[in-house]
Amino acid sequence: MDLVNIFIKGVFIDNMIFAYFLGMCSYLAVSKTVTTANGLGLAVIFVLGITVPVNYILETKILKAGALQWLGENFIDVDLNVLSLIMFIAVVSAMVQLVEMIIEKFSPALYSSLGIFLPLIAVNCAILGGALFMQERQYSTIIEATSFALGSGVGWYLAIVAIAAIREKIRYSNVPPPLRGLGITFIITGLMGIAFMCFMGIKI
Amino acid sequence: MNKESNIYTFTFAIIMVLVIGVSLAVTSEVLQPRKKQNKNDKKMMDILSAINIDASRENAQQEYDKYIYSSSIIDNMGRVLEGDAFKIDVLFQYRDKTLLPEERRYPLFKANKDGSEYFIVPMVGSGLWGPIWGFIALENDYNTIYGAAFDHKTETPGLGAEINQDFFEQPFVGKKIIDDNGVFVSVEVQKGGAQSNDPHAVDGITGGTITSDGVTDMLKNTLMIYNKYFSSLIEDDIKKDTLDIINNID
Amino acid sequence: MKKSFFSKQHQRLITDPMGDQNPITIQVLGICSALAITTQLANALVMTLAVIFVMISASMIISILRNSIPNRIRIIVQLLVVASLVALVDQILKAFLPDASDKLSVFIGLIITNCIIMGRLEAFAMGNKVWESFLDAFGNAIGYGWILVAVAFVRELFGSGKLMGYQIIPLSWYDTMTVDGVEKSFVYFNNNLMILPPMALIVVGLIIWVQRSKNEELIEND
Repeated sequence: MDLVNIFIKGVFIDNMIFAYFLGMCSYLAVSKTVTTANGLGLAVIFVLGITVPVNYILETKILKAGALQWLGENFIDVDLNVLSLIMFIAVVSAMVQLVEMIIEKFSPALYSSLGIFLPLIAVNCAILGGALFMQERQYSTIIEATSFALGSGVGWYLAIVAIAAIREKIRYSNVPPPLRGLGITFIITGLMGIAFMCFMGIKI
Repeated sequence: MNKESNIYTFTFAIIMVLVIGVSLAVTSEVLQPRKKQNKNDKKMMDILSAINIDASRENAQQEYDKYIYSSSIIDNMGRVLEGDAFKIDVLFQYRDKTLLPEERRYPLFKANKDGSEYFIVPMVGSGLWGPIWGFIALENDYNTIYGAAFDHKTETPGLGAEINQDFFEQPFVGKKIIDDNGVFVSVEVQKGGAQSNDPHAVDGITGGTITSDGVTDMLKNTLMIYNKYFSSLIEDDIKKDTLDIINNID
Repeated sequence: MKKSFFSKQHQRLITDPMGDQNPITIQVLGICSALAITTQLANALVMTLAVIFVMISASMIISILRNSIPNRIRIIVQLLVVASLVALVDQILKAFLPDASDKLSVFIGLIITNCIIMGRLEAFAMGNKVWESFLDAFGNAIGYGWILVAVAFVRELFGSGKLMGYQIIPLSWYDTMTVDGVEKSFVYFNNNLMILPPMALIVVGLIIWVQRSKNEELIEND
């Protein structure tokens, strides 16, 4: 039950975009058509699903205060927390590199449509944010952490595909010129965020 | 020198990692005492807030030493154990699901304010989204609540998050955790408002039902353990009193 | 002829990012890590200072090293420099401003992935001298900061009636009267919506609206 709750919470309530604005750069830049948004969204789910568990192991086995206990009693006082930021970002960029190579090999079409944005996943705040939230919320098992990661990923996917669909249609509307493009996207995202707030309080 | 050669790249990377590693380790080590002090100060401020002392980071240690005169650790059966109660991290214990009930430790802080004795009980529970925690101060009848302070990290703003506000905490003052028959009943946070003369209930937060229920559970589960300890104290007191009476008769 | 120390071009390095080249409202960079903490002005200021510090130091370090960084690992090197500076800021905040550090929590860490920083390192500091890089970093950090502060100003003022934690809207405005057994306020209510995340986006949207109305060249046509 906890797992489902964590997942639902990641998708709807603690939505990376609507509640924390994480990954906004690529969210705004790649949301002009649904197809590319779809690709990037899937990539984010995938990368989050890999990096968060890896970082979880790193956090619990190496970085946390007292985490090195498995090396022997002498290491119980070692606290490597100061390195966690650097370790997390290193894992994230290594994983992104890997995903990039895999996608390039197996789906050249997707690779060419995502273009320069794939490398940007490394600096997509949602990915590092996933790792940092995992650290802050101290999930008790790796499965909980993974469930959180997938939930956040799906939430992000949902957000970017929804905004892409809206942006495809909004071309036919008469938006005030100064708001066209970026401005209206911000405001729509805000309104979607308000809509998503009705999920607050759901517990399964 | 060829900038793109493997050897150069490797040397560059290694030197860089060394420089960064050393400088971060040094800063971390230098700042360690301060960080620890900050953490302790915060904890002292939280403990003191239960007896309505508003300490700041600057005078936390001073105020703590002034009011808190002793502390003890008890286990889940209410027995007293050896150790430094201040070092026990109840939140950490609460999260550790592998910990057996009999392995959990419950710290208790004894305060002396304006000549009266108070017992400060830290507690942890689950709100809607994450842990909630608080400190309850009991008067020396081990029954009447003298002060309450709650906090949370992730409750819904405007709803469950309001548990750390005065309007929620204030009504706890004067409530009793034991009923007239001497049975432990705790204090309940009631949805839809409590009767003002009910000594065992306070008003809940509209829209924050799950958080309110979390507070109820937290109070009940924690105070139950401490009540075992308090009962043993009362028994001891009675024994001592009877002994005194018997001695006097002689 | 010797180039002046603070020429017209130098000035533009600072002024452009504040207005027509603003990283947030025009270039769509670096929004991620920032907006969630704009419920209070004080937090926004701490965040801005942290970003200014990280950005300036990173730009200068990269600019100094720019001729010795192997091309193949330059992105990793940039990332490492930024990450360690952020770790440094995180440690300093934890030690000296523990309350602010608690509130900003993971968002300090997220400065690493602030696209502005990486973007300016790659686009500017890798190819320019130290002094220019310093000005460019400063200008962009300020351009980022003022949006943050502006959003926080609006949100804290209307959301809590305070600025920097001090009550600005007179408390007497909150007075209530009982009409037909129902308590009503006649002057002002805190706008709780402002505190909630979506309003940050809408406020930025409005800032963009104002900015682009003033300068028609910035209007997008798609």
